Amino acid sequence: VLDRASTFAQPEIVELLKTQFVPVAIDQAYQRRQQDTEGEFYRKIAGQGPRSNFNSTTQGFYIATPAGKLLLYNNNRNPEKVLRLMREKLAEFRRAGTADVAAIEAAKTDAKYNARPPEGGLVVRVRAKVLDGYEPTTDRWQRIFQTALSRDNLWVTKREHEALVQDELPETLARRLARYHLVDNTRGEPPMWKADEIRKLDLQLNDGQIRGAVHLETKDGSRGYQAELLGVVQVDGGRVVGLQLVADGQFWGDGPYTRGAPDGQFPLAIAFTLADGSQVADAIPPQGSRGWAPGYLR
Amino acid sequence: MLRAFSNSCWMVAASLLFLHSAPPSPAAELDDARFKALLAELEPADEPWRTIPWKIALLDAQRAAAQEGKPIFIWAMDGHPLGCT
Repeated sequence: VLDRASTFAQPEIVELLKTQFVPVAIDQAYQRRQQDTEGEFYRKIAGQGPRSNFNSTTQGFYIATPAGKLLLYNNNRNPEKVLRLMREKLAEFRRAGTADVAAIEAAKTDAKYNARPPEGGLVVRVRAKVLDGYEPTTDRWQRIFQTALSRDNLWVTKREHEALVQDELPETLARRLARYHLVDNTRGEPPMWKADEIRKLDLQLNDGQIRGAVHLETKDGSRGYQAELLGVVQVDGGRVVGLQLVADGQFWGDGPYTRGAPDGQFPLAIAFTLADGSQVADAIPPQGSRGWAPGYLR
Repeated sequence: MLRAFSNSCWMVAASLLFLHSAPPSPAAELDDARFKALLAELEPADEPWRTIPWKIALLDAQRAAAQEGKPIFIWAMDGHPLGCT
Protein backbone atom coordinates (compact mmCIF):
# COMPACT_ATOMS: atom_id res chain seq x y z
CA VAL A 1 0.00 0.00 0.00
CA LEU A 2 2.73 2.46 0.98
CA ASP A 3 4.80 1.69 -2.11
CA ARG A 4 1.88 2.27 -4.45
CA ALA A 5 1.27 5.73 -3.06
CA SER A 6 4.90 6.74 -2.67
CA THR A 7 7.60 5.04 -4.78
CA PHE A 8 5.33 4.07 -7.65
CA ALA A 9 3.55 7.41 -7.70
CA GLN A 10 6.82 9.18 -8.60
CA PRO A 11 6.51 10.06 -12.32
CA GLU A 12 10.20 9.49 -13.18
CA ILE A 13 10.22 6.09 -11.48
CA VAL A 14 7.04 5.12 -13.34
CA GLU A 15 8.59 6.22 -16.64
CA LEU A 16 11.83 4.33 -15.98
CA LEU A 17 9.91 1.18 -15.15
CA LYS A 18 7.82 1.51 -18.30
CA THR A 19 10.74 2.06 -20.64
CA GLN A 20 14.09 0.97 -19.18
CA PHE A 21 13.31 -1.98 -16.91
CA VAL A 22 11.18 -5.11 -17.00
CA PRO A 23 9.05 -4.70 -13.87
CA VAL A 24 7.70 -7.73 -12.02
CA ALA A 25 5.61 -7.81 -8.84
CA ILE A 26 5.62 -10.93 -6.70
CA ASP A 27 4.51 -12.28 -3.35
CA GLN A 28 7.95 -13.49 -2.28
CA ALA A 29 6.35 -15.93 0.17
CA TYR A 30 5.80 -18.04 -2.96
CA GLN A 31 9.12 -17.66 -4.75
CA ARG A 32 11.34 -18.16 -1.71
CA ARG A 33 9.60 -21.48 -1.05
CA GLN A 34 8.64 -22.92 -4.40
CA GLN A 35 10.75 -25.85 -5.56
CA ASP A 36 10.91 -25.12 -9.26
CA THR A 37 12.69 -23.06 -11.87
CA GLU A 38 10.92 -19.83 -10.91
CA GLY A 39 11.83 -20.29 -7.25
CA GLU A 40 15.42 -21.22 -8.05
CA PHE A 41 15.89 -18.08 -10.15
CA TYR A 42 14.42 -15.90 -7.41
CA ARG A 43 16.61 -17.45 -4.72
CA LYS A 44 19.65 -17.06 -6.95
CA ILE A 45 18.99 -13.30 -7.10
CA ALA A 46 17.82 -12.73 -3.53
CA GLY A 47 20.56 -14.97 -2.13
CA GLN A 48 23.17 -12.44 -3.27
CA GLY A 49 21.60 -9.79 -1.04
CA PRO A 50 21.23 -9.30 2.69
CA ARG A 51 18.01 -11.31 2.94
CA SER A 52 19.37 -14.69 2.01
CA ASN A 53 17.61 -16.66 4.77
CA PHE A 54 14.68 -18.10 2.87
CA ASN A 55 12.92 -19.17 6.05
CA SER A 56 11.90 -15.57 6.63
CA THR A 57 10.79 -12.65 4.53
CA THR A 58 12.94 -11.43 1.67
CA GLN A 59 10.71 -8.51 0.79
CA GLY A 60 12.08 -5.40 -0.85
CA PHE A 61 13.09 -4.04 -4.25
CA TYR A 62 15.65 -5.92 -6.34
CA ILE A 63 17.36 -4.97 -9.59
CA ALA A 64 19.02 -7.85 -11.43
CA THR A 65 20.43 -8.66 -14.83
CA PRO A 66 18.62 -11.19 -17.04
CA ALA A 67 21.37 -13.66 -16.08
CA GLY A 68 20.42 -13.31 -12.42
CA LYS A 69 23.23 -11.10 -11.16
CA LEU A 70 21.99 -8.89 -8.35
CA LEU A 71 22.68 -5.22 -8.94
CA LEU A 72 20.65 -3.80 -6.06
CA TYR A 73 18.66 -4.74 -3.01
CA ASN A 74 16.75 -1.93 -1.33
CA ASN A 75 13.95 -1.80 1.20
CA ASN A 76 13.70 1.97 1.47
CA ARG A 77 10.52 3.71 0.36
CA ASN A 78 11.96 7.17 -0.14
CA PRO A 79 11.13 7.87 -3.82
CA GLU A 80 14.12 10.17 -4.29
CA LYS A 81 16.50 7.52 -3.02
CA VAL A 82 14.87 4.77 -5.09
CA LEU A 83 15.06 6.94 -8.21
CA ARG A 84 18.73 7.70 -7.62
CA LEU A 85 19.55 4.02 -7.10
CA MET A 86 17.59 3.00 -10.18
CA ARG A 87 19.53 5.47 -12.34
CA GLU A 88 22.86 4.35 -10.89
CA LYS A 89 22.11 0.67 -11.46
CA LEU A 90 20.78 1.28 -14.94
CA ALA A 91 24.04 3.02 -15.84
CA GLU A 92 26.02 0.16 -14.28
CA PHE A 93 24.00 -2.35 -16.28
CA ARG A 94 24.67 -0.48 -19.51
CA ARG A 95 28.38 -0.07 -18.80
CA ALA A 96 28.71 -3.83 -18.34
CA GLY A 97 27.15 -4.40 -21.76
CA THR A 98 24.22 -6.62 -22.55
CA ALA A 99 25.76 -9.96 -23.32
CA ASP A 100 23.43 -12.45 -24.95
CA VAL A 101 21.46 -14.23 -22.28
CA ALA A 102 19.03 -16.99 -23.10
CA ALA A 103 15.52 -17.09 -21.75
CA ILE A 104 15.19 -19.57 -18.91
CA GLU A 105 12.71 -22.31 -19.67
CA ALA A 106 10.64 -23.64 -16.79
CA ALA A 107 11.99 -27.16 -16.33
CA LYS A 108 10.02 -27.71 -13.11
CA THR A 109 6.76 -26.26 -11.82
CA ASP A 110 5.83 -26.57 -8.15
CA ALA A 111 2.08 -27.18 -8.23
CA LYS A 112 1.69 -26.04 -4.63
CA TYR A 113 2.70 -22.51 -5.60
CA ASN A 114 1.27 -22.35 -9.10
CA ALA A 115 -2.44 -22.49 -8.46
CA ARG A 116 -4.66 -21.48 -11.35
CA PRO A 117 -8.29 -20.33 -11.25
CA PRO A 118 -10.68 -23.30 -11.43
CA GLU A 119 -11.47 -24.42 -14.97
CA GLY A 120 -15.02 -23.37 -15.79
CA GLY A 121 -15.20 -21.25 -12.66
CA LEU A 122 -15.12 -17.52 -12.04
CA VAL A 123 -12.70 -14.92 -10.72
CA VAL A 124 -14.26 -12.14 -8.67
CA ARG A 125 -12.41 -8.96 -7.71
CA VAL A 126 -12.65 -8.10 -4.02
CA ARG A 127 -11.95 -4.65 -2.63
CA ALA A 128 -12.23 -3.42 0.94
CA LYS A 129 -12.15 0.02 2.50
CA VAL A 130 -12.45 1.43 5.99
CA LEU A 131 -15.08 4.13 5.60
CA ASP A 132 -14.55 6.02 8.86
CA GLY A 133 -13.25 5.82 12.39
CA TYR A 134 -9.60 6.82 12.13
CA GLU A 135 -8.25 9.67 14.21
CA PRO A 136 -7.43 12.63 11.97
CA THR A 137 -3.75 12.76 11.09
CA THR A 138 -1.35 14.89 9.12
CA ASP A 139 1.16 12.04 8.87
CA ARG A 140 1.59 11.16 5.21
CA TRP A 141 2.10 7.44 5.77
CA GLN A 142 -0.81 7.12 8.16
CA ARG A 143 -3.06 8.88 5.67
CA ILE A 144 -2.09 6.35 3.01
CA PHE A 145 -3.20 3.52 5.29
CA GLN A 146 -6.35 5.32 6.33
CA THR A 147 -7.54 5.80 2.76
CA ALA A 148 -6.28 2.47 1.38
CA LEU A 149 -8.36 0.35 -0.95
CA SER A 150 -7.37 -3.31 -0.80
CA ARG A 151 -7.54 -5.85 -3.64
CA ASP A 152 -7.88 -9.62 -3.64
CA ASN A 153 -9.56 -12.24 -5.84
CA LEU A 154 -12.30 -14.70 -4.95
CA TRP A 155 -12.25 -17.95 -6.88
CA VAL A 156 -15.50 -19.71 -7.72
CA THR A 157 -15.44 -23.38 -8.77
CA LYS A 158 -17.15 -24.76 -11.85
CA ARG A 159 -19.80 -26.48 -9.72
CA GLU A 160 -20.51 -23.25 -7.86
CA HIS A 161 -20.64 -21.33 -11.13
CA GLU A 162 -23.22 -23.78 -12.44
CA ALA A 163 -25.26 -23.37 -9.25
CA LEU A 164 -25.22 -19.58 -9.59
CA VAL A 165 -26.57 -19.99 -13.12
CA GLN A 166 -29.41 -22.00 -11.56
CA ASP A 167 -30.12 -19.14 -9.13
CA GLU A 168 -28.58 -21.00 -6.20
CA LEU A 169 -25.79 -19.89 -3.89
CA PRO A 170 -23.86 -22.93 -2.65
CA GLU A 171 -22.83 -23.07 0.99
CA THR A 172 -19.22 -23.78 -0.01
CA LEU A 173 -19.09 -20.45 -1.84
CA ALA A 174 -20.80 -18.55 0.98
CA ARG A 175 -18.36 -19.98 3.53
CA ARG A 176 -15.29 -19.27 1.37
CA LEU A 177 -16.48 -15.74 0.79
CA ALA A 178 -16.97 -15.21 4.53
CA ARG A 179 -13.81 -16.87 5.80
CA TYR A 180 -11.28 -15.49 3.33
CA HIS A 181 -12.80 -12.34 1.92
CA LEU A 182 -14.82 -10.59 4.63
CA VAL A 183 -11.56 -9.39 6.18
CA ASP A 184 -9.90 -6.04 6.79
CA ASN A 185 -6.84 -6.25 4.54
CA THR A 186 -6.47 -2.50 4.10
CA ARG A 187 -3.29 -2.23 6.21
CA GLY A 188 -1.54 -5.53 5.41
CA GLU A 189 -1.97 -9.27 5.41
CA PRO A 190 -5.06 -10.01 7.49
CA PRO A 191 -5.90 -12.98 9.67
CA MET A 192 -8.55 -15.08 7.96
CA TRP A 193 -11.56 -16.42 9.87
CA LYS A 194 -11.55 -19.93 11.28
CA ALA A 195 -14.52 -22.12 10.51
CA ASP A 196 -15.86 -21.85 14.06
CA GLU A 197 -15.61 -18.06 13.98
CA ILE A 198 -18.59 -17.90 11.67
CA ARG A 199 -21.30 -17.05 14.19
CA LYS A 200 -23.95 -16.39 11.56
CA LEU A 201 -23.95 -16.74 7.79
CA ASP A 202 -27.20 -16.25 5.95
CA LEU A 203 -26.69 -15.62 2.25
CA GLN A 204 -29.48 -16.28 -0.23
CA LEU A 205 -29.77 -15.90 -4.00
CA ASN A 206 -33.27 -15.44 -5.38
CA ASP A 207 -34.26 -14.12 -8.81
CA GLY A 208 -30.73 -12.90 -9.38
CA GLN A 209 -30.54 -10.92 -6.15
CA ILE A 210 -28.23 -11.78 -3.27
CA ARG A 211 -29.27 -10.79 0.22
CA GLY A 212 -27.87 -11.77 3.53
CA ALA A 213 -26.16 -11.07 6.79
CA VAL A 214 -23.03 -12.28 8.46
CA HIS A 215 -21.54 -12.23 11.92
CA LEU A 216 -17.90 -13.27 12.25
CA GLU A 217 -16.11 -13.12 15.56
CA THR A 218 -13.09 -14.64 17.24
CA LYS A 219 -13.60 -16.73 20.34
CA ASP A 220 -12.23 -14.01 22.62
CA GLY A 221 -14.28 -11.34 20.87
CA SER A 222 -11.25 -9.22 20.08
CA ARG A 223 -11.94 -9.17 16.33
CA GLY A 224 -15.20 -9.38 14.45
CA TYR A 225 -17.33 -8.22 11.57
CA GLN A 226 -21.06 -7.93 11.43
CA ALA A 227 -22.49 -6.92 8.08
CA GLU A 228 -25.37 -6.94 5.68
CA LEU A 229 -24.83 -8.10 2.11
CA LEU A 230 -26.63 -7.09 -1.05
CA GLY A 231 -25.85 -8.01 -4.63
CA VAL A 232 -26.93 -9.06 -8.08
CA VAL A 233 -26.01 -11.95 -10.37
CA GLN A 234 -26.60 -11.66 -14.11
CA VAL A 235 -26.78 -14.80 -16.24
CA ASP A 236 -26.73 -15.03 -20.00
CA GLY A 237 -26.18 -18.00 -22.29
CA GLY A 238 -25.75 -20.42 -19.42
CA ARG A 239 -23.01 -18.53 -17.64
CA VAL A 240 -22.62 -15.71 -15.18
CA VAL A 241 -21.86 -12.50 -17.04
CA GLY A 242 -22.19 -10.07 -14.17
CA LEU A 243 -21.81 -10.22 -10.42
CA GLN A 244 -21.83 -7.35 -7.98
CA LEU A 245 -22.00 -7.78 -4.23
CA VAL A 246 -21.42 -5.42 -1.33
CA ALA A 247 -20.84 -6.20 2.34
CA ASP A 248 -21.52 -3.23 4.57
CA GLY A 249 -21.03 -3.41 8.30
CA GLN A 250 -19.06 -2.84 11.46
CA PHE A 251 -15.61 -4.35 11.97
CA TRP A 252 -13.55 -4.35 15.14
CA GLY A 253 -10.02 -5.44 15.98
CA ASP A 254 -6.94 -6.14 13.89
CA GLY A 255 -4.22 -8.75 13.36
CA PRO A 256 -0.43 -9.04 13.75
CA TYR A 257 0.14 -7.54 10.29
CA THR A 258 -2.81 -5.14 10.21
CA ARG A 259 -2.09 -3.09 13.30
CA GLY A 260 -3.47 0.40 13.56
CA ALA A 261 -7.17 -0.21 13.06
CA PRO A 262 -9.51 2.46 14.37
CA ASP A 263 -10.47 2.05 18.03
CA GLY A 264 -13.64 0.10 18.70
CA GLN A 265 -16.05 -0.59 15.90
CA PHE A 266 -15.57 1.03 12.54
CA PRO A 267 -17.44 0.82 9.23
CA LEU A 268 -15.84 -1.52 6.70
CA ALA A 269 -17.27 -2.04 3.21
CA ILE A 270 -16.22 -4.84 0.88
CA ALA A 271 -17.18 -4.95 -2.80
CA PHE A 272 -17.17 -7.97 -5.10
CA THR A 273 -17.27 -7.57 -8.89
CA LEU A 274 -16.80 -10.13 -11.64
CA ALA A 275 -13.32 -10.00 -13.16
CA ASP A 276 -12.95 -10.00 -16.93
CA GLY A 277 -9.22 -10.71 -17.13
CA SER A 278 -8.42 -7.20 -18.31
CA GLN A 279 -6.31 -6.42 -15.24
CA VAL A 280 -3.04 -8.21 -14.53
CA ALA A 281 -4.16 -8.57 -10.90
CA ASP A 282 -7.06 -10.76 -12.08
CA ALA A 283 -4.52 -13.59 -12.43
CA ILE A 284 -3.26 -13.44 -8.85
CA PRO A 285 -4.35 -16.30 -6.59
CA PRO A 286 -6.48 -15.38 -3.59
CA GLN A 287 -4.48 -14.49 -0.50
CA GLY A 288 -6.38 -17.18 1.41
CA SER A 289 -5.23 -19.86 -1.04
CA ARG A 290 -1.51 -19.29 -0.51
CA GLY A 291 0.18 -22.67 -0.53
CA TRP A 292 -3.06 -24.66 -0.16
CA ALA A 293 -5.46 -23.90 -2.98
CA PRO A 294 -7.33 -27.20 -2.53
CA GLY A 295 -8.12 -26.25 1.06
CA TYR A 296 -9.28 -22.81 -0.01
CA LEU A 297 -11.56 -24.27 -2.67
CA ARG A 298 -12.93 -27.02 -0.44
CA MET B 1 -3.50 1.17 48.00
CA LEU B 2 -2.95 -2.29 46.65
CA ARG B 3 -6.67 -2.99 47.02
CA ALA B 4 -7.53 0.26 45.21
CA PHE B 5 -5.18 -0.70 42.39
CA SER B 6 -6.69 -4.17 42.25
CA ASN B 7 -10.21 -2.75 42.08
CA SER B 8 -9.19 -0.40 39.31
CA CYS B 9 -7.75 -3.31 37.34
CA TRP B 10 -10.98 -5.24 37.73
CA MET B 11 -12.97 -2.25 36.54
CA VAL B 12 -10.75 -1.88 33.49
CA ALA B 13 -10.95 -5.61 32.80
CA ALA B 14 -14.72 -5.57 33.20
CA SER B 15 -14.95 -2.61 30.83
CA LEU B 16 -12.82 -4.38 28.25
CA LEU B 17 -14.91 -7.53 28.62
CA PHE B 18 -18.04 -5.47 28.13
CA LEU B 19 -16.59 -3.84 25.01
CA HIS B 20 -15.69 -7.21 23.54
CA SER B 21 -18.97 -8.90 24.37
CA ALA B 22 -21.25 -6.00 23.48
CA PRO B 23 -23.04 -6.70 20.22
CA PRO B 24 -21.80 -4.52 17.37
CA SER B 25 -24.14 -1.78 16.35
CA PRO B 26 -26.06 -2.62 13.21
CA ALA B 27 -24.91 -1.22 9.90
CA ALA B 28 -26.90 1.48 8.18
CA GLU B 29 -29.60 -0.03 6.02
CA LEU B 30 -28.06 -1.45 2.89
CA ASP B 31 -30.59 -0.40 0.28
CA ASP B 32 -30.16 -0.06 -3.47
CA ALA B 33 -28.88 3.52 -3.27
CA ARG B 34 -26.22 2.67 -0.67
CA PHE B 35 -25.29 -0.45 -2.65
CA LYS B 36 -24.56 1.66 -5.72
CA ALA B 37 -22.77 4.33 -3.70
CA LEU B 38 -20.49 1.76 -2.07
CA LEU B 39 -19.70 0.09 -5.39
CA ALA B 40 -18.61 3.47 -6.71
CA GLU B 41 -16.68 4.27 -3.51
CA LEU B 42 -14.71 1.04 -3.81
CA GLU B 43 -13.74 1.47 -7.47
CA PRO B 44 -10.00 2.12 -7.74
CA ALA B 45 -8.84 5.50 -8.91
CA ASP B 46 -6.50 5.99 -11.85
CA GLU B 47 -3.23 5.72 -10.01
CA PRO B 48 0.27 5.83 -11.58
CA TRP B 49 1.32 2.38 -10.31
CA ARG B 50 -1.54 0.80 -12.27
CA THR B 51 -0.07 2.11 -15.53
CA ILE B 52 3.19 0.18 -15.05
CA PRO B 53 3.24 -3.02 -17.15
CA TRP B 54 3.90 -5.34 -14.21
CA LYS B 55 4.55 -8.97 -14.90
CA ILE B 56 3.59 -11.43 -12.17
CA ALA B 57 6.02 -14.27 -12.92
CA LEU B 58 9.76 -13.84 -12.56
CA LEU B 59 10.54 -16.16 -15.48
CA ASP B 60 8.29 -14.09 -17.75
CA ALA B 61 10.26 -11.04 -16.67
CA GLN B 62 13.57 -12.84 -17.25
CA ARG B 63 12.47 -13.82 -20.75
CA ALA B 64 11.46 -10.25 -21.63
CA ALA B 65 14.63 -8.83 -20.07
CA ALA B 66 16.82 -11.24 -22.06
CA GLN B 67 15.04 -10.35 -25.30
CA GLU B 68 15.00 -6.60 -24.71
CA GLY B 69 18.41 -6.26 -23.06
CA LYS B 70 16.96 -4.62 -19.95
CA PRO B 71 17.48 -5.16 -16.23
CA ILE B 72 14.72 -6.73 -14.15
CA PHE B 73 13.06 -4.68 -11.41
CA ILE B 74 11.51 -6.95 -8.78
CA TRP B 75 8.90 -5.65 -6.32
CA ALA B 76 8.80 -8.46 -3.77
CA MET B 77 6.42 -8.20 -0.84
CA ASP B 78 4.69 -10.26 1.84
CA GLY B 79 1.34 -10.70 0.17
CA HIS B 80 1.05 -9.86 -3.49
CA PRO B 81 1.88 -6.21 -4.21
CA LEU B 82 -0.87 -6.02 -6.85
CA GLY B 83 -3.34 -7.94 -4.77
CA CYS B 84 -3.75 -8.63 -1.07
CA THR B 85 -3.22 -5.11 0.26
